[in-house]
Amino acid sequence: MTQSVGIVLVSHSAQLAAGLRDLLAQIGSDSVPVQVAGGTEDGRIGTSYDLVLKAIHAADHGNGVVIVPDLGSSVLTARTVLEDHPSPDVLLVDAPFVEGALAAAITASIGADLTAVATAAQEARHVPKF
Amino acid sequence: MSLSSDNAGAACETSVVLPANLHARPAGKLAQAAARFSSTILIEHAGKSVNPAGILAVMGLGATAGATVTVRAEGEDAAAAVETLAAVLHAAE
Repeated sequence: MTQSVGIVLVSHSAQLAAGLRDLLAQIGSDSVPVQVAGGTEDGRIGTSYDLVLKAIHAADHGNGVVIVPDLGSSVLTARTVLEDHPSPDVLLVDAPFVEGALAAAITASIGADLTAVATAAQEARHVPKF
Repeated sequence: MSLSSDNAGAACETSVVLPANLHARPAGKLAQAAARFSSTILIEHAGKSVNPAGILAVMGLGATAGATVTVRAEGEDAAAAVETLAAVLHAAE
């Protein structure tokens, strides 16, 4: 199987992003390149342009990258990075952080393409938790 | 596990009594297993029916240990799909 679509988790908190990555790994996304860009470079709560850019490069194994932001400036920082480095193969998705990342990771793990992975993340908003 | 098939190779279903809650890990395994088949597959519980490719929808069924879940498939590999997904459900822990 070819490399799957990559996923970047952008969060204000390094621990939140790392914790979500651990959760994704538990649920069977170990074949999916999941990278985190959490917090600032000096370990504070916030978002970092450079960390987001590095994470995108690390997650891209040739089949595109879906960026899942937590909220607020995670979206803005990711958008700024994409404006400076435009690529049709990198998509920022509007999705709930945990559910969106989970749906994206599982969909990527079965070899789906970039559009399908992004759609899975976005559709997560419409699936009731219970 | 009992497999019933009214038309071998076309439609197939089986029911599984869950040994554990249908939470994130088994739901993820179901999604991955379902992707290997071309048949249309549905997971049913308590009147709700979802596509196993959607891990969130499967978790949203709220099926707990002891509950009965039905796997239904239609297509040329329906029997294998039902057997494989039922095995995933049986192995839930």
